[in-house]
Amino acid sequence: MKKCRILGLFGNFDDAFAAIGDFKNKKVDGITVDDVTFLSPIEHPDIDDVLGPRPSVIPKVTLCGAAFGITFGFLFLASAQSNFLIQPQGGKPVVPLPSNIVLTYEMMILFSVLFTVVAFLITTRLFRKRKSLYSEKVGIDQVAIEFEVDEKYIDPIKGVFKDNHAVEVREEVQS
Amino acid sequence: MQNNEVYKDINEDLKWAQINKDVLKSMENPRKGYWISVAVCLFLISFAVVGEVYQYNVGMGAANLNWPHMWDLYIATFIFWIGMSHAGTLLSAILHIMNADWRKPIYRFAEAMTTFSLMTAGLFPMIHLGRLWNMYWVLPYLTDRGIWPNFRSPLVWDAFAISTYLTSSALFLFIGMIPDLAICRDNARGWRKKLYTALSLGWRGDDRQWRNFRRTYLIMACFLIPLAVSVHSIVSSDFAMSIMPGWAVTSFPPYFVAGALYSGCAAIITLFILLRYYFRWEEYMTIAILEKTAKLTFAIAMVWTYLNLIEFASVWYGHSAADKEVLLAKFFGPYAPFFWGMIFCGSVVPFALAFEKLRRHLPTMMVVSILLNLGMWLERWMIVTPTLSLSYHPIAHDVMWPSWVQWFIVAGSFGWFGLLFLVFVKVFPSVSMYECKEMVLHRRELANKEISPVMANNPGGGAPATGVSSKSPGVEGS
Amino acid sequence: MSLSNLIDDWSRYRKGREEGGFHDYEHMWGMSIDLNKCIGCNACSVACYAENNLAVVGKEKFEKGQGMHWLRVERYWDEPDLGEERTSEFQQHGASFLPMMCQQCNAATCEPVCPVAATYHTPDGLNAQVYNRCIGSRYCSNNCPFRLRYFNFWSYYEDSWPAPLQMQLNPDISVRDMGVMEKCTFCVQRIRTVKDTARMEDRKVRDGEVQTACSQTCPTGAIEFGDMLGMYDPETGVAETRVTKMWRKHQVELGKTKQNKQTPEMRGYRVFEFLNTDPCVMYLDRVREV
Repeated sequence: MKKCRILGLFGNFDDAFAAIGDFKNKKVDGITVDDVTFLSPIEHPDIDDVLGPRPSVIPKVTLCGAAFGITFGFLFLASAQSNFLIQPQGGKPVVPLPSNIVLTYEMMILFSVLFTVVAFLITTRLFRKRKSLYSEKVGIDQVAIEFEVDEKYIDPIKGVFKDNHAVEVREEVQS
Repeated sequence: MQNNEVYKDINEDLKWAQINKDVLKSMENPRKGYWISVAVCLFLISFAVVGEVYQYNVGMGAANLNWPHMWDLYIATFIFWIGMSHAGTLLSAILHIMNADWRKPIYRFAEAMTTFSLMTAGLFPMIHLGRLWNMYWVLPYLTDRGIWPNFRSPLVWDAFAISTYLTSSALFLFIGMIPDLAICRDNARGWRKKLYTALSLGWRGDDRQWRNFRRTYLIMACFLIPLAVSVHSIVSSDFAMSIMPGWAVTSFPPYFVAGALYSGCAAIITLFILLRYYFRWEEYMTIAILEKTAKLTFAIAMVWTYLNLIEFASVWYGHSAADKEVLLAKFFGPYAPFFWGMIFCGSVVPFALAFEKLRRHLPTMMVVSILLNLGMWLERWMIVTPTLSLSYHPIAHDVMWPSWVQWFIVAGSFGWFGLLFLVFVKVFPSVSMYECKEMVLHRRELANKEISPVMANNPGGGAPATGVSSKSPGVEGS
Repeated sequence: MSLSNLIDDWSRYRKGREEGGFHDYEHMWGMSIDLNKCIGCNACSVACYAENNLAVVGKEKFEKGQGMHWLRVERYWDEPDLGEERTSEFQQHGASFLPMMCQQCNAATCEPVCPVAATYHTPDGLNAQVYNRCIGSRYCSNNCPFRLRYFNFWSYYEDSWPAPLQMQLNPDISVRDMGVMEKCTFCVQRIRTVKDTARMEDRKVRDGEVQTACSQTCPTGAIEFGDMLGMYDPETGVAETRVTKMWRKHQVELGKTKQNKQTPEMRGYRVFEFLNTDPCVMYLDRVREV
């Protein structure tokens, strides 16, 4: 059994959504809507309704980043301040809260942003070799549905694509 | 809404392929005007280099700084550029969260403006240091001297805030550009192909990427807004945290933030008109969007004027002799021409934006936006210098005018910003392609809904019923 | 940079919190300047130039306001028509003089704003300036209400002391180069020497042992310098220092923003007391016939 990839290009969102609807309605046995990878030039506002809920961990990572920024920021500042060989504050607290609040705030934002970006890069699976099944048309104005399935599903999937007016169908057998 | 027939934010029949084509075209084959602009920028930068090299070697006296004028144009221009950087955040983050989709064709260059004006602003605290070569001492790093920066100093807050802001806004700009870079990658050849392949990080536009992309973008926007506000508040604390008359003003943080948004919006209008003219982007940078930006600018201008007046009023009724003296010196003293120039440019000129005819007239808008920014620059100068000239101690009352070195470096900063921006518009797409497509799609849906209200009531549960109705973005274009 | 250092600092902080301030001052150097005695001769300023290796910037730069006079004798003129005739073109009473040196504020406004902690408060109660650490952001000078901080706008060491004048430089103190802020230190090199001697001889610093260049030079003895912590000690019988006596006599106290005077003889005041910078220099008002 070989893993195959198949990609169907559609001229508009409606056709592609219709095709996804077909997969949803179990037109092809063994293929569900969760196997669908949907490629588009923009994010269609209704995409969540079509594909069903697909979670994202990014907000959680951001929260971790914010918490880390606050704790690390404050501890870093406080330890640095109490570590001065010579205390420069004549008569004022060694760990001054007002200025530390300001700096901790900045650190919170910095680490939240950094964590978010790192999470984005990991969860979107960027930095990987691009799969060969890619159409430049997706960057322009066409949308595509991609599957990575066993060889036996290829033909029925192709059939669904054709039924829904796919502009082009590409497939690739993985070696 | 009544003018939608003539002035639309964007033409909803715009083909998606055409958007790609138009934007990609803007990155190719620089015209003569482009090279002239580059030359002008380089010329200005060379001035600054001459000034800075001279000043670096002989000392800050070259800038005609003296006792008590320890700060002058450098700090004023620093605040000016920091303020300019707030426009990108306003357009891309605040308006994004508020779902104002007219921002879409113009937010990219506004974000670039944010990053570049921060890169310009960041130079000034360095330039103004007496010992430039030791500037890294402001950063908290482990050293066996056992000493850290003084975390109580607003200048250290500046260093933290600006580096955070620069990092975040550059990342925001970059992340928001990834889908467009992928388009560039698909169309480029030669060194550009390599560059865009590296920068687009393998973006292919699948649903997982888009989903996480949208989350990331929204989250970063949410963080950028408080960040931008805090950055300019912190810059204002350079003054507000001091003890000097005219500086220790409680209303400075909101005043600075309003001024920042104000000058940023004015700069957006300037660049808007220039880009529209250079790249013939009448389809994207439409008069309707310009009008909306102008209205926003007008609103912010009025906020700024109000905060200005409230500052004068609080000084006046505060009855602090020194504060009053500084205020009166601004009104009638040697700095009066600049002060009234600031009031004229900042509070009177924006009323031009209240008139529809003027708002739609590009040359007028160009002049107005430049005047607004001139006013905002004068504002910063009038914050910094009169206080130094007239502080508490009468023996230190003095008036001093900046030397050519300062003027050269200030002029050079505009060249530096311009050069960065010019490189940007030719290397990166300065109009967001995917967001324009979203906007077109959205507007088309709205238009269709207006035609057939029945369709609008269609419940959006199932797949095929929603989305683009009959006409799709694709086929006609390809 | 160690745990013990951290714990020490913390305990000091705790102690300070409990006792209401930062308390372990070894000394608190202060001054009392009697303006009745000041004749405006500028000898103090000259002495300061000699003692502290102050750069002589030349007429042109001085006029531009780039002078380095740590101690300046300020002249204030009355309105010409203040006198009886109210017609005179000239002043009736001449100038009033105010020698101003760094006031060594206890709540110094220059200290918190320095980004690199180049200016800080020493356990001697001095507002110290670390030249090596200074990066020249000049914020301290901007935030000094007395404008008593001077910046090396140029590199002066070549022009200011043409050979063989460099031989007269004080070896106890560095020559500052361009880009560094500087100010009166209460002749910290002299304080240092006296403290070291006292320590070697295993005794306390005596009153009058440290003299700043200005107080040493003043021909009328207008400037008193001493330790403000030198109160009467019943155990050892050490008397109050002269400065402390002066401050007490004129009812000027540290840590107060307004002095409550009982008689007009009490002439003491501190410059800009209402700003609450708590300076360590007290001035005695000039009394004149009007």
